[in-house]
Amino acid sequence: MTYHPRENWNPSRRRRVYTRRDFLQRAAVLGIAIPALPSILAACAERGGGEGAELVIGTPSSPVQQPLFDDNPAIDSGLEPESGPLRLYNWEDYINPEIIPMAAEALGVEIEETTFFNEEEALSRLSSGEVSYDVWFPTSQRIPVAVTANLIQPLNHDYLPNLSANVWPQLADPYYDQGSRYTAPYVLYTTGIGWRTDMVDSADIEGQENPWDVFWNPEYSGVMGLLDSFTDTIALALFRNGVADPSQASEADLTAAGDALVELVDLMNVRYTIDGAYAGIPEGRFALHHAWSGDLVNSQYYWPEDGDYTVTRYLWPASSEGSTVNGPISNDTMAIPVNAERPVLAHQFINFMLDADNSLTNFEWVGYQPPQNHITPDFLIENEYAADFLRPALVTPEDFERDSVWVQGPLDAETEALWSDQWTRATSG
Amino acid sequence: MPTNLASGAEYDTVGQKRWIWPAFAIPGVVWLCLLFLVPFYAIFAVAMGSIHPILSRPVPEWNPIYWDPTIFAEVLGELFGGQLGSTALRTIGYVFIASALCLLIGYPVAYFVSRKAGRFRWLWLLLILAPFWINYLMRMMSWVNLLSPDGQVNQFLSLFGVQSFPDWLSGHHFVVILGLVYGYIPFFILPLFAALDRIDDATLEASRDLGASNWQTFWRVTWPLSRNGVLGGLVIIMLPMFGDYYTPNLLSGSPRTRMLGNTIDQFINQTTSQGAVGAALTIVLMVFVAGLMIYYLVTINRATEEARG
Repeated sequence: MTYHPRENWNPSRRRRVYTRRDFLQRAAVLGIAIPALPSILAACAERGGGEGAELVIGTPSSPVQQPLFDDNPAIDSGLEPESGPLRLYNWEDYINPEIIPMAAEALGVEIEETTFFNEEEALSRLSSGEVSYDVWFPTSQRIPVAVTANLIQPLNHDYLPNLSANVWPQLADPYYDQGSRYTAPYVLYTTGIGWRTDMVDSADIEGQENPWDVFWNPEYSGVMGLLDSFTDTIALALFRNGVADPSQASEADLTAAGDALVELVDLMNVRYTIDGAYAGIPEGRFALHHAWSGDLVNSQYYWPEDGDYTVTRYLWPASSEGSTVNGPISNDTMAIPVNAERPVLAHQFINFMLDADNSLTNFEWVGYQPPQNHITPDFLIENEYAADFLRPALVTPEDFERDSVWVQGPLDAETEALWSDQWTRATSG
Repeated sequence: MPTNLASGAEYDTVGQKRWIWPAFAIPGVVWLCLLFLVPFYAIFAVAMGSIHPILSRPVPEWNPIYWDPTIFAEVLGELFGGQLGSTALRTIGYVFIASALCLLIGYPVAYFVSRKAGRFRWLWLLLILAPFWINYLMRMMSWVNLLSPDGQVNQFLSLFGVQSFPDWLSGHHFVVILGLVYGYIPFFILPLFAALDRIDDATLEASRDLGASNWQTFWRVTWPLSRNGVLGGLVIIMLPMFGDYYTPNLLSGSPRTRMLGNTIDQFINQTTSQGAVGAALTIVLMVFVAGLMIYYLVTINRATEEARG
């Protein structure tokens, strides 16, 4: 199928960018103020206006410091903690339910958790300024947007002794937020390939120059799936086509990636799911699935009683031997929203989560690793927190230093429109 | 006529204040405004809006002066012959086949329960409704368990010596259609049951007295009298089917079984900077579905007028 990018359906190219001036004009015309908007727009204006605001985006090879702003200071040191309740805003099922009462007891307050299903929803609620949470758990790629849009406040490290004491140096001073000005790392993950050895010949993946190519191997037609997540999956197709840095992909690269995904419909009878790796592989719905590393660690709880979990494997093409293609790595963070009502408690909670024992307790349930000095793959395997055959699903500090890693950054609206076009093609059948 | 009430225009002929009856419409009007018109306007505002420069997400344009309808032309272009054409056709096909199956399966059931089930009618109704105390998503997830390769359906089949099983969940049209039928059929049966239940036995007896066979009685009396119930049931199930996206998501996940609801979901929840496209697509779908609704209302209206003579 030939598909010239210029013919693409891309409404956003011509879409206006909203500026503060537009807003004021229109608000004047209407004689009203829409409650959700002024806070965002006012925030943009203080940053020099919507048009001028630049995101500060780092990668492991070129780390960045997020800017500080006079009107958004960190809290002072030595303050007394507020009275509760402390409000958390987290992904669903992304914190050990046992940790919450433990933290509540340690901090002497009640803790309430609100969950979000995707980050877009979380961003829009926070940017409305109409809700107030004390701790938020954004992914690292959202940090530039959250800082520039004035959604989070700087951290005061006096309250966070565990940050420098316990956390991997690579993430105590991370590439996306050097000096941890706004964030503390929560958990880590890579994105790769999950499979079961009784249905897939591991030699088709391990030791291959291009492990991603297994998703185009017709032998596994009808039993393979990819993540129903456009950034992960377009990136997968770009890697498979040999693109090193999906963030820099040209329109031609993206069209080729879209072609490759369209090919999967007939060649592989591809399915797009979110639960395919952690639930679908144990249930036998899939032999092979695009996966986040924690999915395979968690999949042990989804096997039927007579199932054999030991057939599960995970491979991250960025670290596998013989591989010449790249792979994604990322992490979630803990941050304090700018309008948090209990910032001191929030700092104390973050410090609690960065504690060596607490982070391990949390890992037991969440299945995604915290970047703690003592939580090495060897430690996890020796203490039976993770199985040896899933060692590739465990992240090491050195993984962030590989040349073969890619970290996903925020896509601007124009680039996202290009990715979206290819995603619509890929998923429309 | 009581003389004390006939004194002025404030009172109508039965002695009620004139505003009382219209006032009963207030809750309905408020409901319609708050939960339909305002959200509908908001969807328009998103479709016509712009993109926030930092958050990269749609900013609604509330003022119609700045609205630019070209996005609808683009969406319509995509639906007729563009990227979304196959998805649109597939959606229409699924909904019509699933509705036809609901009619084929649901009509005999409703007929039996309303006319033949005798004093155990309530039990039958209860049995039909019982699964619907469980959330739709939960029921679809149970189907995932039932239909998975080592699930109960295949275990059951293997009792009869079946050796090789179809991979039910690997993107089959019929599995998605069956999911839709299973999910929505009670909403078809209930209004139809009510319509059949209202038919006066005397009309059927009259038909037989006049020499009609059972089949003729059904075809010339029962069916015409239940037609509006059928139509009402079909409209009730078709409207949500057109917007369904979790049934194909859970029972297949394949691009081959994608429906328009999935595409809208993608624009709203994944590629959020394209939210305006999702909003425009939502409006186009609503207009299409409103067409069905209007057909239903016109038919019902005509039937009511015919009945009045």
